[in-house]
Amino acid sequence: MKGLPEDYLYYPARRRGMDHEIYPFRALPKAQPVTWPNGARIALCIAVHMGHFPMDMPLKPFIAPGGMERPYPSYWDYTLRDYGNWDYTLRDYGNRIGVYRLMNSLTVRGMPATALLSAILARRYPALMDDLAEARWEIACAGLDMGRLHHSGVPLDQERATVQEAAALVRARFGTSVRGWHSPAHSESSDTLRLVAEAGFSFTTGWANDDVPYVMVTDAGRLICMPLSQDLSDQRMLHQQHLPTEDFTKAILTAHQTLDREAEATGSGRILVVPITPWLMGVPHRIRAFNAMLDSMMARGSVWPATMGQIADHWRAQNPN
Amino acid sequence: MLSEPGHYDYMPWRRRPRITWPNGARIAFWVAPNIEHYELDPPPNARRMPWTRPQPDVLGYSWRDYGNRVGFWRMADVMARHGVRGSVSLNVAVCDHYPEIIERCCELDWELFSHGTYNTRYFYGMNEDQQRAVIRENRETIKRASGQELDGWLTPAISNDETTQHLLAEEGIKYTLDMLHDDQPTPIKVRSGHLISIPYSLEINDVPLLIMRNTPPERFAAICKAQFDQLYEEGAESGTVMCMPLHPFLIGQPHRVSALDDVLRYVVGHDKVWLATGREIAAWYTEHHLAEAQSWIAAGTP
Repeated sequence: MKGLPEDYLYYPARRRGMDHEIYPFRALPKAQPVTWPNGARIALCIAVHMGHFPMDMPLKPFIAPGGMERPYPSYWDYTLRDYGNWDYTLRDYGNRIGVYRLMNSLTVRGMPATALLSAILARRYPALMDDLAEARWEIACAGLDMGRLHHSGVPLDQERATVQEAAALVRARFGTSVRGWHSPAHSESSDTLRLVAEAGFSFTTGWANDDVPYVMVTDAGRLICMPLSQDLSDQRMLHQQHLPTEDFTKAILTAHQTLDREAEATGSGRILVVPITPWLMGVPHRIRAFNAMLDSMMARGSVWPATMGQIADHWRAQNPN
Repeated sequence: MLSEPGHYDYMPWRRRPRITWPNGARIAFWVAPNIEHYELDPPPNARRMPWTRPQPDVLGYSWRDYGNRVGFWRMADVMARHGVRGSVSLNVAVCDHYPEIIERCCELDWELFSHGTYNTRYFYGMNEDQQRAVIRENRETIKRASGQELDGWLTPAISNDETTQHLLAEEGIKYTLDMLHDDQPTPIKVRSGHLISIPYSLEINDVPLLIMRNTPPERFAAICKAQFDQLYEEGAESGTVMCMPLHPFLIGQPHRVSALDDVLRYVVGHDKVWLATGREIAAWYTEHHLAEAQSWIAAGTP
């Protein structure tokens, strides 16, 4: 009787641990306890997705969240967008205006941030780069731009060139202190991590599988994988799921409460990464909700506002192996 | 192709023989965590691609991986705190990949039933021998990992083919969850052997609610409670079943696990609730109510 090919019932990677060699399995209760400066229970990282979306970006093999969904040439998507639920969400607007609102909100509270930056912005908007440097935001390289996605359809040489070019662009402006990588739209090929390690990055963020850092192994060296949720992000909740702003800020505060209680119960610090996007959280009608969210988090106490690199360093010092 | 499953007769909600649960409970409440592994590099299936993005789909894979690394442990703690056992819809390869998860399930006295080998290996297009081979292998793996018999079944990713239910019965599976046609257990017609259906749910399942219907956590809890309230009330007439299917990669997220805590506290706060497992519900129904239901159907549901 005809059926599926015989090897459909063959499972070559069925074994103890993962079905790949990138990192070993680790259950949350087995994660090595960590402490943060001043005994803080929560290391809080504001991760800002600073993407550049070329108007002629490819729409295959998938449209990156925030990508051009209307027919070319979509000035609407490129500059400004009405999402149908009366919210205005914006791309280039985010890099012109939204990010400045976020910067103001964080600076006035003495909080740092980590920018997951489309490298092309380092060349396009030097004035913005100066302002990010002055605000002491950490710069992590988020690929070249949102039109240059990493996926298995990209030839290896081309992907390597993209990683190298992106690294060179951000380092030309910010120097070798740039250590973090994020693959745009959380998308990677099987080679991406190796190419990222090869380019000298020490941590990556985008595998949404843990609340605690862990080590990834590549042929070109190790990378620390830092937490970064997509499920609990403004892109997911506000842009893709069309939820009201308050549902997002409330979810962040609930997550904070859960992690804070876990830290208290286990005696181990926890990490809360808040992924936000200038063209979403930086619009006028949302910025006050963002501010209130920050104030609520700080009011809970025992929070260490830090960059992703600082958290990675503290974690690494306590997990040297 | 078939125009209908053909596995059950029409049974109007009125005039049914009365179902009673142990200790006068109105409702059998059971929680079915789907503990799954989605492969990073699964083979293609003509009827369904495993991932939406090109493989490796890092976002999709890592999100599911969160369930086993983090979400499961949080979810299990909340359930244990309320004395609610799980009936695990298990991709049985998890026994090999993550035995520590199976250990924790056994320690909590949870039932394990099969949700296939991996959630990226569909039954679509398998011939009968292939389906049978998977069912048998799953039975052996669960026995080896936990000492438990395999009594229940939910086809991986609900990818059942036309003949799957017949094969389940022939392979000694006692209850299936592939059909969503009722709020009570029902007999299932198969070409040989015996099989019943007990209610699973795609209405208060976290995947459709949280991913497809974009439900925020508090609303999710409210929906689950509303489902419970109605079934609890109707259970005064004749016993009902409420299944709460969960996926640790969703419900175990730090912004959602408190919604589960909220729902379980609410449910166990009612006195006429039978906190059961799938196996217990199937066994009770088969022993006490199946024959009566079959006679009532045979008589034309008078």
